This record gives sequence, structure tokens and C-alpha cells, in this order.
Amino acid sequence: MPTHSPSALLRIFAEAGVEFIVVGGVAAVLNGAAINTFDTDLVHARTPENISRILGVLEEIDAIYRMQPERRLRPKESHLESRGHQNLMTSMGHLDLLCTIGRGLAYEDLLPHTTSMELGSGTRVLVLDLETLIALKQELNGDKDRLALPILRQALKLKQAKDLLPSEG
Amino acid sequence: MNMTEPEFEAPAPDYSEDGVDLTLLRWMLSLTPQQRLQALEEHLNGILEIRALNAHA
Repeated sequence: MPTHSPSALLRIFAEAGVEFIVVGGVAAVLNGAAINTFDTDLVHARTPENISRILGVLEEIDAIYRMQPERRLRPKESHLESRGHQNLMTSMGHLDLLCTIGRGLAYEDLLPHTTSMELGSGTRVLVLDLETLIALKQELNGDKDRLALPILRQALKLKQAKDLLPSEG
Repeated sequence: MNMTEPEFEAPAPDYSEDGVDLTLLRWMLSLTPQQRLQALEEHLNGILEIRALNAHA
């Protein structure tokens, strides 16, 4: 039975020094939204150095394309440099490496809309904020996006109300 | 004697108007990001375990 471990995936990429932003369902969960997701979506920086680091990690976690898994096709440098989505299966669960999201937003465009979060053992990752996740889902307007929107909006509302409370410390 | 009634604070609702379970969201927001991810993983792997047990059902 395959194991789904978004935390292990995030750690291995962070420890390899890969520049990435957590987006999609895992970003929603990290921001406090109670939703389920079976894949980890990352937007990566498309510099040659970063792509080289990603390819090293992908080798380590035995990443192959989910489409036609029997062919065991592996992503190459050119795939990670493109504007497309690489939907992969790995030894740590499903992983989607997204070159751009929404209307062509790349790593650099999303950086100002991220929060650095601690995942334990000193590992920190950049996570897309709820406001931007909501805006992107509104823009995409697919069935799956529309389903998640009320939960994301309520999570944002509660989070903002919580931030207004005086600190307990 | 003070006749003023103590102010009544309405309890926070369990659901939003659009049907979102706010108790779950409050619980998630009480956790650290690491704990939120752990909760997701335990849930997912629990579902996958049940699916594997019933693969031939």
C-alpha cells in the first residue's frame, strides 16, 4: 500500500535546498482549513540550479509520471523548465510539480503571497496564503474549486478573528 | 444591590450559514502547521488502509 506523506515530501525538498512554494490542498491544510487532499502541489523556481536539485530529489523518491505508470516515465529538465504541470507518483505519495498556476503565475510572482511555516526539526517551508488560494480557486472556478471555497473562506474569517485577539503570551 | 444582569455572550455557532463545520476549523486553527499536516496524513493513511482492506469487496 503506498504511503502518503506530504510532510516527508516537503522535508526532503527543503533539506535539498530546493526553492518551492506549497500550494493547493496541502497549503490549505497548513493554513488551518479542514479539507482532504491526496496530492502535494508545489510551485518551483525554474532556475537551472534549482531544477538540478529537484531532479536529484525526484531520483531519490523514485518519481514517475502518474499517467501510464507501467512505462515508468521520469520528468526531465525540459519538463521542469516548461509552464506545465508534472503529475507524479513517488515513494512518499502523489506529487504535482507545477511550473505555473492560475493565469501563468510563477514562483517569483507567488513569493510575496507566502508565509514561512515551521514543520519541525528546523524545517521551514513557504506556503501560499489563504487569500491567494481563495483568489486562485475563484479564478479557476472548477467543481472541485467551488466545493473547497466555502471552507477556505470560513477558515480565513476565523483566522483573521483569531489574529485580532490579544496575545496570550 | 446591583440589579444589572450579567451580559450574556452567545455561544459561537457550530456551522456557518453556508454549512461549513466551524468546530473542525476552530480545532484545526488551534494546531500548529506541523500538527495540521500530521492530522491530514493520519486521516489519509487511515482511509487508504480501509480501502486496501476492502479492495476485493
